[in-house]
Amino acid sequence: MTDTTETQAQATEPFTPADPLAAATVALLRARHGADVLDVVEWRGETTIVVRPEALVAVGQTLRDAPELRYDYLADITAVDWPEREPRFDVVYHLLSLPTRAVVRLKVRVGDEDTPHPEMPSITPVWPAANWFEREVFDLFGISFAGHPDLTRILMPPDWVGHPLRKDYPLTGFRLPSPHWGGQIPFDQPLPPGTGAQTLRTPDGREQPPAPPGPEFVTRRED
Amino acid sequence: MQLEERQIEVEQSEPLNDEGARRDTMTINMGPQHPSTHGVLRLILTLDGETIVKAVPDIGYLHTGIEKTAEDKSYFKALVLTDRMDYLAPLCNNLGYSLAVEKLLDLTVPERALYARVILAELQRLASHLVWLGSSALDLGAQSVFLYCFRERELILDIFELCSGVRMMTSYIMPGGLQADLPEGFDAQVRAFLALFPKRLREYHDLLTNNRLWIDRTKGIAPLAAADAITYGCSGATLRGSGVVYDVRKAFPYSGYERFDFDIPVGSNGDVYDRYLVRMLEMDQSLRIITQALDALPGGPWQVDDPKIVPPPKYLISSNMESLIHHFKLYTEGYRPPAGEVYVRTESPKGELGFYVVSDGSARPYRMHVRAPSFANLQALPSMIEGQLLADVVAAIGSIDIVLGEVDR
Repeated sequence: MTDTTETQAQATEPFTPADPLAAATVALLRARHGADVLDVVEWRGETTIVVRPEALVAVGQTLRDAPELRYDYLADITAVDWPEREPRFDVVYHLLSLPTRAVVRLKVRVGDEDTPHPEMPSITPVWPAANWFEREVFDLFGISFAGHPDLTRILMPPDWVGHPLRKDYPLTGFRLPSPHWGGQIPFDQPLPPGTGAQTLRTPDGREQPPAPPGPEFVTRRED
Repeated sequence: MQLEERQIEVEQSEPLNDEGARRDTMTINMGPQHPSTHGVLRLILTLDGETIVKAVPDIGYLHTGIEKTAEDKSYFKALVLTDRMDYLAPLCNNLGYSLAVEKLLDLTVPERALYARVILAELQRLASHLVWLGSSALDLGAQSVFLYCFRERELILDIFELCSGVRMMTSYIMPGGLQADLPEGFDAQVRAFLALFPKRLREYHDLLTNNRLWIDRTKGIAPLAAADAITYGCSGATLRGSGVVYDVRKAFPYSGYERFDFDIPVGSNGDVYDRYLVRMLEMDQSLRIITQALDALPGGPWQVDDPKIVPPPKYLISSNMESLIHHFKLYTEGYRPPAGEVYVRTESPKGELGFYVVSDGSARPYRMHVRAPSFANLQALPSMIEGQLLADVVAAIGSIDIVLGEVDR
C-alpha cells in the first residue's frame, strides 16, 4: 500500500530541469500559473515550457517582471507546423534575460481541424520586439495574433494566397495564372476579386492601364 | 492590404496641428532600388519639410524561401543555403548552422576544427565590418574609404580562397568539422595579414574618427536608447552602441571562445558615431582573437571520426568498398539526428544569429528557422529616424549594418 502511494507520488512529481535558472523559471511559473503550464521538457540542455495560449500574456508578464529572472529580451518567435497533430501549430518564443543570462523556450500549441487559421493573443504588449516576428508567423503560417498593432504580411506580397511555410503548401508553389504580376493563385481556381493581372491600381484606386509596348528596336542616330 | 492603400493610411494618420489642419506632409518612397539602402529595402517616409514624421520599412523584396527549401534538403545539403543569407559573412552562418546540427547529433568536434572555426569566423567578421565601413562611409560621401576597405577585404577573401577554393560562398565550415584541412601556407598568409592590418586600421581611424565632417554627420544622429534597443530585440553593435553589454561570444561561449582573452567595446550615446566606434574597436578585438587562436592552433584531425557524418577522403573512395558506401549513403540520404529541437545562438558580425532546428528523426530538418540579427535590428529603424532629417536616414541605415538577404531569407 505504502509502495503504491510512493510510486504515485513519484509519478506525479513534476519534472524540474537540471539548469538552475531554468528550474527557477519553472518553479516560478508553477507557483503563479500552475494550471497553465502544460508541460516542461529539457533536451540537450534547453528547457521548453509549454503553456496554454490564453495565459500567454500573463505568463510573459510574470517572466518579464520577476525580479530574480527578468526575461527582458525576446530573441525570436517562430512556428512549427505539425499537420497530423492536434493542436496543429507550435508557436515558439525564445526568451533571454540580459541581467541573469537565463534562457528559456516558451511554447504554445494552437489550431485544430475546425480552425485552419487559429487566433491567439499577441505578446507585443509585453515585448514590443514581437511586432515583426508575429507578422512573419502570420504571413508564413496563417496564425493571427489578437491585439497586434499592425498584423499584415511582411515577407510575401500583400495579395499572396496561402501561407508558404505550412507543410501542405507545396515546395514548388502553385501554378501561376498567366500573365501574372504578383499574387499566386491555384491554377484551377477563379481569381479572387482584387488579385491577378487586371488589378494594377493607382494609389487612388483607379485601374492602371497596361503599359504601352516599348519600341522593338532603337535606330542608331547617324552623326 | 495593398501597399498603396497602406501608404495613404500612413498619410492620413498624421496628427493635426494647432489650427486643426493636417500638416503639409509628403509621402515618398526610399528604395527598393536605392543604393544607400544596402540592398532592396523600401522605406515609406512621410516628410514634413525635411523632417521625417513617420517611417515604415517594407521588406520582403529578397525573400527566397530559404527556410522552406531547407525542409526539402538533407542536413548535409542544407548547409549551402546558409551561405546565401548573410552573404557578407557566409562562414559565420555556416558556423551557426553547423553548431545547431552538431547539438542535435550531440557531436563534439576536434580541437583543430574549433580553433580553425574561430580564426575563420573572426576573419569573416573583419571582412563584413570592412564592407560595412566602406559602404556606410560611401553613403556619407567618403569615397576613398570604400576603396581602401575593399582592398583589405580582398586579402581576407584570398585566405578563404586558399582554404576552400571559393571566395564568398565557401560552405567551408560544415557539421562535423571543416570540409578540408587548413591548407599549407594558411598560417603564413594569416600572419602576413595580421602584420599588415593594424596599420591599415589606423589609417581608417585617421580618415574618419576625428574627421570634423564625419563627426558632424554621425554624432547625435539617429540615437537609440538602451531600453529601446532591448525592447526592439536589437543585438550586435546596434545594441552595444547603446551601452548594453551583451555579446554572445562572452555570454554563451561557443566553439571555444571562452579560452580567448578579448574585450567587448560598448558605446554610451547609442548614436551613429557610437555604433561606428564599437565596430571599429571590435576589429581590434578580432585581431587579438585571431592571434591567440593561431598561436594555439593544434594539429590533428579537423573532422569528427564518423563516416556517417562527414564524407570519407577521396583517395579511400576508389580503393575501399566501405568508404564508397559511406560516401554514397551520405550524399544520397544523409544522416538522421534524433527527434528534438535546438536553438543555437552565435555572434555574427551583425548580431545574434540564432538557428532553431527541429528534427523529427528523419534525414531532413523538419523546420529550420533563422533568427536573423538584421531583421530585429531593422525593426528599430523607425524609432531611430523619426524626427530626424531625411539626409540622415542613409547614415542610420548604414549604422545598423543590415543585409537584406538575411532580413528576408
